[in-house]
Amino acid sequence: MEAASVASKPVARRPADVARDLLSRFGLIAFLLAWPVGIVVQDLSRGEGLAPIANLLVLGISNGAIWALIAVGYTLVYGIIELINFAHGDNFMLGTFTAFALFGTLGLTLATGPLGLVFGLLVCLLASMVVCALNNVMIERVAYRPLRNAPKLAPLITAVGFSFILQNVGVLWFGSSQFSIPDLIESRNVLFEVAGVTVTNSDALAIGVTVPLVILLTQFITRSRIGKAMRATAQDPEAARLMGINVDTTISFTFLLGGLMAGAAALIYALYQTTLWYFAGFQAGLIAFTAAVMGGIGNLQGAVLGGLIIGVIQNISDDRLAAKWTPAVVFGYLIVIMVFRPQGLLGEETREAG
Amino acid sequence: MALGLGFAACGDDDDGGGGGGNTVSGSNLTIYSSLPLQGTSRGQSEAVIQGERLALKELAPGNKIGKYTLKYVSLDDSTAQNPGTADEGQTAQNARKAASDKTTIFYLGEFNSGGTKVSLPILNKAGIPQISPSNTYVGLTTDDPGSEPGEPRKYYPTGKRTYARVVPRDTIQGAALVSTMKEDGCKAVTLWNDGSTYGAGLARNIELSAKQGNLPVQDKQRTDKNAPNYRSLASGIQTDCFLWSGVTGENGVQVFKDAASGCPQCKLYGPDGTAEAAFTDPKEGGIPADVGARTKLTVATLGVEDLPSAKPVIDAFRRQGVRNVDPYAIYGYETMALALDALKRAGDDANDREKVIEAMLGTKDRQSVLGTYSIDENGDTTLTDYGLYVIKDGQPTYSKKIVADPALIPKG
Repeated sequence: MEAASVASKPVARRPADVARDLLSRFGLIAFLLAWPVGIVVQDLSRGEGLAPIANLLVLGISNGAIWALIAVGYTLVYGIIELINFAHGDNFMLGTFTAFALFGTLGLTLATGPLGLVFGLLVCLLASMVVCALNNVMIERVAYRPLRNAPKLAPLITAVGFSFILQNVGVLWFGSSQFSIPDLIESRNVLFEVAGVTVTNSDALAIGVTVPLVILLTQFITRSRIGKAMRATAQDPEAARLMGINVDTTISFTFLLGGLMAGAAALIYALYQTTLWYFAGFQAGLIAFTAAVMGGIGNLQGAVLGGLIIGVIQNISDDRLAAKWTPAVVFGYLIVIMVFRPQGLLGEETREAG
Repeated sequence: MALGLGFAACGDDDDGGGGGGNTVSGSNLTIYSSLPLQGTSRGQSEAVIQGERLALKELAPGNKIGKYTLKYVSLDDSTAQNPGTADEGQTAQNARKAASDKTTIFYLGEFNSGGTKVSLPILNKAGIPQISPSNTYVGLTTDDPGSEPGEPRKYYPTGKRTYARVVPRDTIQGAALVSTMKEDGCKAVTLWNDGSTYGAGLARNIELSAKQGNLPVQDKQRTDKNAPNYRSLASGIQTDCFLWSGVTGENGVQVFKDAASGCPQCKLYGPDGTAEAAFTDPKEGGIPADVGARTKLTVATLGVEDLPSAKPVIDAFRRQGVRNVDPYAIYGYETMALALDALKRAGDDANDREKVIEAMLGTKDRQSVLGTYSIDENGDTTLTDYGLYVIKDGQPTYSKKIVADPALIPKG
């Protein structure tokens, strides 16, 4: 009884423990917000208001939306077979080329009317999504499935190999130089402005396509039968097989979904940047993979969050620091996040991690 | 006999050049050209080759100079993975190929100053004369402002000069650009560069010239070729003029598109590294016409009206069916013409690399398609005129001669 009463007494916590607890719970959030908040304070003290940082946020989110869509492909595949699909970024690049090739086939030019343009771009969107999806499924079938039970290094190397093959397909298709394409949506034109914050056509396109796609994908994975099969396979492929799930088909379907997202990102990228080249996929893939790791690889929402964070960091660093430091800043953030949360911001424990 | 052969072999050894006895045996001499034949610079490189071939045809009929027969070999210093500019590995391989070829008498290249940084020490060690049709980086020949510590000494391991160029170095181009901007009424300039040897070096010269000309330089940035875009950078442009020092292959088109959009009222300027169809022509993937209309470029070649000596060559190109003669075709022509002139002046010793280098560096008051010039002791041309080009119908079009204010040229 006495013992019980002693146990029920609240234990006074030492200040150091409280501080450590607070640091572990809120330290990362504080770290992530420190720089933007510092900029806000600096801008306010200069009397510049919130418009400059808000403009950077809009740019960052629209840039990040593209990274997010590509990152989803990395995270889906890693979540289900724990493979870094290095060819994913280059598959995305082929999507940008497909979209551009279709501009010519469909006769989309700067002179095309709004209705024709919307219809034509929808066709391009669907086509690039389908091409990237089928390409991804083909890669999985040819290069990864035969190595399902091989040591992990084997599919990793075939992924790198496929990355180079796709790059060379890109070189054969449109040459090895960067090239400008028609700015069909007048991407840099201001769509609207609120309190000094401008939203351009390309910002609206990137956010307007990414948000519904991610919501649809999340709902699909959460609610559909095949989505549940994907989650079951991700948790334990053997148990899923015993439960009657066709694991190979489920994995192929995962690649299909990743490819669809890469295809959507490809059209947005083409319209947003208006400059394409065969190496764009490597760079975009690297950023998107970083986003997937930052958000917690294997976690859909994490990939999106990671993409948006990287987009914002890139734009703030370009504007407030110097463009030459931007890659170092992005990876600096990644390292700090990994140190505080090795599983990523919204990460879940994977089979590998236990 | 055996002794003689041994001596000749020593003289031709690629490690032993630079000194005496560096003689090609036999009557066949090879001239190598090394340029980026892939990527955005391909158009300019092909124009250079066109010019070199025309000069060879016109000035050495039947490929003969005196008793010697010339062979022209074109090499690519770019790769599919690194197009539009000199790839370091490939450039070194080209230079070694020329150095190990016992018939090599000239090496014409590289197009990019960064490439020449790689090939020059290899060729210098082999004692092979080199002429670039386009290098403008200061540090290749002098330690003038804009160069880096140890330059140019580190490019000449033998201690002897073996390199010349037919275009004025960037101290002149920087002053020409600043002169133009001041004439256009620029109050301040945003200065970005591509981070390459050429781009960063020229940017340093522009900054020095701008300082001497009291033109404020703001927002100095280095652009990353792999960056998806430069929108947030461009949103920070606060000046009325924008200048990017770089080559098209370093994502120049995207830089100009974003800068033009971020600063709609800015006047835009670029150096000779962007004076090519891949940059100026929307049909070739270049900047949109509305951005082109705001852009001015500097190139070391003058228009025919200011350079009557180039007219016969331009006419010869037109007879070959070339409608728009690229400025680099003229550079290419003069590069080969200078090499052939040095061989002619070397006479019977045109197979002696050392004599040929002496002749090349001893060029005085040469009347050429670029005007009358000499090659100074560093290998630099004494020409100082630059041409101002605007973009019309997607082509760099000569506007007028820029005479750079001497007060704007940084002194060493």
